Amino acid sequence: MLLSHMRARYSRRDFLRVGGTSIAGVTLPQLLAASPGRSERSCLVFFQSGGVCQHDSFDPKPEAPAGIRGGFETIPTAVPGVRFSELLPRSAANLGRFSVIRSMFSLEAIHEKAKQYAFSGQRPNNAYKHPVYGSVVARERGARNGLPPFVVIPKRDISADAGFLGSAYDPFVAGDPAKEKYSVQDLSLPTGLGLEEARGRAHLLERLDARLEALEKSDVVSSMDHFYQKALDLVSSPQAKRAFDIGSEPDKLRDAYGRTTGGQGALLARRLIEAGVRLVTVFHGGYDTHSDNDKTNSRLYPEFDQAFNTLLEDMDSRGLLSTTLVLAIGEFGRTPEINHSAGRDHWPGVFSIAAAGAGVPGGQVIGSSDRLGAEPDDRPVSIEDLGATVYRKLGIDAHKEYHAAGRPIRINDGGEPIRELFA
Amino acid sequence: MARARHLTAPRRARLAEGVCRGPRSGRPLASAARLDYSDYVGGSVSIAAVTGSLLAVPCALAVAIEPAGIRLQGPGATQRILVDGGSECQVVSDAPGIVAVQGGVLRARVPGRAVVEARCAEGLATAAVEVAEVASQVGIGFERDLLSILTTKGCNSSSCHGSPAGQNGFRLSLYGSDPRLDHDMIVRQHDGRRVSLQDPAKSLLLAKPSFELAHGGGQLMTRESDEYRTILEWLRQGAPYGSGGTRLERLEVYPAEAVLAESGTSQPVVVVGRLSDGTTRDMTAEVRFSVDDEAVVRLGEGAVVTAAGTGMTTLLARAMGKAAASQIIVVERQPAVPPGIPEPANLIDTHVFGKLRRVGIEPFPPSDDRTFLRRVYLDAAGILPTREEAASFLASDAQGKRATLIDALLEREEHTTHWLVKFEDWFRNSQYYSQGRTNASFKRWLHDSIREDWPYDRTVREMLTAVGDTTVRPAGNFWHPAIDFMLKTFEVEKAVPTITRLFLGQRIECAQCHNHPLENLTQDDFYGLAAFLARVRVKHGYGQYRRVWYDAREGETEHPVTKRTVAPRFLDGSEPEIAGGTTRRAALADWITRDQRIQFARATVNRVWHEYFQRGIVEPFDDFRSTNRPSHPALLDALARHFIDSGFRFRSLHRLILNSQAYQLAAHAPVRPGGERPLEDALFARYLPRKLPAEVLLDAISQVTGVPEAFRGYPPGTSPKLLVASIGATRFLTTFGHPRRDVMEDRSNAPSLAQALLMMNGDVLAARARAEGFVVERLLESGLSDGQVVDALYARALSRRPDDDERRGIEAYLAEEAAAGRDRRQRLANVLWAVLNTKEFQMNL
Repeated sequence: MLLSHMRARYSRRDFLRVGGTSIAGVTLPQLLAASPGRSERSCLVFFQSGGVCQHDSFDPKPEAPAGIRGGFETIPTAVPGVRFSELLPRSAANLGRFSVIRSMFSLEAIHEKAKQYAFSGQRPNNAYKHPVYGSVVARERGARNGLPPFVVIPKRDISADAGFLGSAYDPFVAGDPAKEKYSVQDLSLPTGLGLEEARGRAHLLERLDARLEALEKSDVVSSMDHFYQKALDLVSSPQAKRAFDIGSEPDKLRDAYGRTTGGQGALLARRLIEAGVRLVTVFHGGYDTHSDNDKTNSRLYPEFDQAFNTLLEDMDSRGLLSTTLVLAIGEFGRTPEINHSAGRDHWPGVFSIAAAGAGVPGGQVIGSSDRLGAEPDDRPVSIEDLGATVYRKLGIDAHKEYHAAGRPIRINDGGEPIRELFA
Repeated sequence: MARARHLTAPRRARLAEGVCRGPRSGRPLASAARLDYSDYVGGSVSIAAVTGSLLAVPCALAVAIEPAGIRLQGPGATQRILVDGGSECQVVSDAPGIVAVQGGVLRARVPGRAVVEARCAEGLATAAVEVAEVASQVGIGFERDLLSILTTKGCNSSSCHGSPAGQNGFRLSLYGSDPRLDHDMIVRQHDGRRVSLQDPAKSLLLAKPSFELAHGGGQLMTRESDEYRTILEWLRQGAPYGSGGTRLERLEVYPAEAVLAESGTSQPVVVVGRLSDGTTRDMTAEVRFSVDDEAVVRLGEGAVVTAAGTGMTTLLARAMGKAAASQIIVVERQPAVPPGIPEPANLIDTHVFGKLRRVGIEPFPPSDDRTFLRRVYLDAAGILPTREEAASFLASDAQGKRATLIDALLEREEHTTHWLVKFEDWFRNSQYYSQGRTNASFKRWLHDSIREDWPYDRTVREMLTAVGDTTVRPAGNFWHPAIDFMLKTFEVEKAVPTITRLFLGQRIECAQCHNHPLENLTQDDFYGLAAFLARVRVKHGYGQYRRVWYDAREGETEHPVTKRTVAPRFLDGSEPEIAGGTTRRAALADWITRDQRIQFARATVNRVWHEYFQRGIVEPFDDFRSTNRPSHPALLDALARHFIDSGFRFRSLHRLILNSQAYQLAAHAPVRPGGERPLEDALFARYLPRKLPAEVLLDAISQVTGVPEAFRGYPPGTSPKLLVASIGATRFLTTFGHPRRDVMEDRSNAPSLAQALLMMNGDVLAARARAEGFVVERLLESGLSDGQVVDALYARALSRRPDDDERRGIEAYLAEEAAAGRDRRQRLANVLWAVLNTKEFQMNL
């Protein structure tokens, strides 16, 4: 059979020649090389794309003037004395499962740059594009169970890629699982093509490729070959199919997550982590409320509340939470002052994020913002600190250096792991 | 007067790569190409006899004493020397009372002059040596030397001592913004306990970062590191703020290039420091050596490198913040029969083959006509040859038919559009920067510059000096990537690195924040260059879609550390004379395209060379540094000269490269697979196979399948190369590496999982197989047999016939599929799917 044949052939090649000249001096492909026998942590980033309003989420300012506190009431949480916005009732009840940082700040106010910053722990610069967490994890850890190590849902984001590590470490794009007929792009065979026929033609391809492979031993050929094999594996792998098959989840659970991109994205992310993906980013969009802030948020934040809390509960009940770092984060906060269009604009000065899992203690509120929600008041936490935390949690040496653009570049430059997140 | 600093100009590029001698096994070979990159000075000339087919090539110096230009620092000073190209030499001094020679070391006796002569079997060499009156000391200063160490080691970053609170009471200004304060903090605060001038090595300043004492920041340097030694030397000199006295201006390491035959062979190395007072100092024992690739050579005791395995690597010597590099090549034992070298077609071959001969590598054989045909169509025009074009070329037995084809291709519109995409990558033409309104006009302008082969110096000058509305004056689009997206203002810090990388091949980004750790590239240089752009302004009109560039009458650049106004200053240290009525930008454009035209030409030809050979003569292709040696210095200069002499015309350069034997070599031979020996690839002994760029691959798929790509808003059949808003236009282009052009990043040509999945299962092939005009359908309609259809598909996709094994494989496949009940169209469509998924189709070979 083709697959067993292919496997035999590739197992001989597990030691793909390294020492090539791919960009940044990075040689392929530690990428998909499995490293069995180690229980390793995963990471799930629920990304609130556009920038979350601190006032309407984890850091309400009921005492602030009306033009700042906004239109929502506050509610008590599971932790006495801590109040959240009324838009997040389940988070309030569930605070024992996660911690909130109220004193995050960014230094970038443009979406693209701020996202790139938040995703990589390194401020964007003119000299090179730093790889994001997922790409670094892909490079440092490789694949597990034949699944891509780094997946984004629903679509590729220009600020979340491998940068100078090269496209080999770019995320695998999973598509939008909230869609009626969800399937991963290019993962299923074209309409009308049976698996048997697909295997037949793949077998022919292998034979036609043999001529060049005998003549050309360079990295580019061996890594193309490697990815074709991985692609074939993915297409014919029942595990991969199962991991992406969100339809096999009970309707009740799917409803519990919410039938939104964020909700179904979170559920798919859980499935993927369970199957062996190392880092999944779910983009939940629409947070960029330059106008009609309250109208948008009264719809959007409950979506987040539902997805995020169902996710934590679901992962906890499956024992995944202890090994998975879960973050809910946007690229920045929103202006304390409400603008003329009843909106709030970009505000990197301070914002709130939530963290859970992988040993993060629950029920903490770390740091605080000032009375307007404009700046950190206590315990400012930088994006670099967050980066150092992510890598520490995942057991990656953040001081390791890559070499690109003619200089050594640390995986995470500066920043201290947020000690409160380590029990 | 211009101080030539990091723009190292070979002052005496008189000779081509040495081709006189191949490596002789069993003993060290000295440097062959010693006129080279590191400002080679002096040396006597004697031309040895040349044999073989390369008679026309001037031969490298047969024997020379290195380093040349020795000026010893007073009586007692010594200098090690090498006799390059000589064996069993006797070295004598004509005035032993002034300079004595003992076992390869010159020793100064009294001030004066002497001539040292090396008498070798290969010939004679002489060198003038001077002994200066007194010794001088090299001064190390805090501001110039220490600050750059603190910055590059991260000591003064915001997360360490640069934070407002510092660490444990030791606080530095962020990135050295206040050097006086930092000096005071280190030398005087806390009763000066951070430094011990009595016992410098005991200073906290050394004991902490070297982790002899516990340090929260970990170990940042070892006692052997150059940084440690520099700090130590600074302390020994009394920890001064400024650096009085003599400065070390440059390091040189000899041999500048060495070819060692066989592993185990050793080569002594000599390092000389050139000081600001004109004297030289033997720094062989003072530098820290490092080797890029220890699999090629290993460092031994006492400044000796020993060959470990075949390859090419760089030996780096560092001291006092300076560095010098030497290129070391290790080859297998010299073959009994010298390598077969093809007849050079032009100057490229002379250099490339000369070097291959010297290191004993035989170039791959010339490509056959079919291979060459497909290759040159893809490289020169970004398209596949049609069957008719292929047939007529292959059938022709005209002399020089390849040259004729090259000429024809370079005149085609497809050549223009193919290079247009590269230009758009270079100049980052992106809808993001111009809101989709004027990048079309920029595209047209670039298109015309290629089609009409405008002199590149003029094109660059127009871009650099562009003013006016960019819809009418498209050259101004060049500046768009330097606009702050939010603030809509021109950001000079974004423009400076772009200009140096594109036009001088230099990366200056590091110097925006700190002095370059290895090169003579400082923050002052960065802002001195930035000052030329201090008056560049942009206006936004009509709903922000229109942009107008102009020069303000006033405006200065502020140095981020000193907060002082910086005057415009070129990278070579010279200052412009800006006449009335002209702008600072114009002065910069003049300097780049006129004063620096050799470097400008080198940087440009190296970019073009990289496109064809996948590897620059300087690699990375836009990273010219004294520590990054070109593999073929003389070739680089010859190409630059050619480019200048042709009036900065690209087409002449394309023609020269495409007509070279080197470009036309095979990528591999039946008995000689390619890619097994890195040295072959590094020295251009073969054509390096590469993946097709995204646009070329998509065009090729359209061409082979007969089904064009349809882009919304464009007529069917429009090439993706002609899209105006190409970023994100289709998933195919993005997946295959079409860049966003948002930062100065090279287009990624790396394979990926997403690419494999897209080619296997994606619509790019599946939808075409269902579309009207699908090639298999049409071939079947014309009544061809299966074998004829397969031949046609091979011809279209690969410009060749299937070989016997492929034919048998396809026949077997077709039979199996027929037995499984698949219809004929589907069977053959699957064969085409397999052909288009081969690496051969997706690559240029």
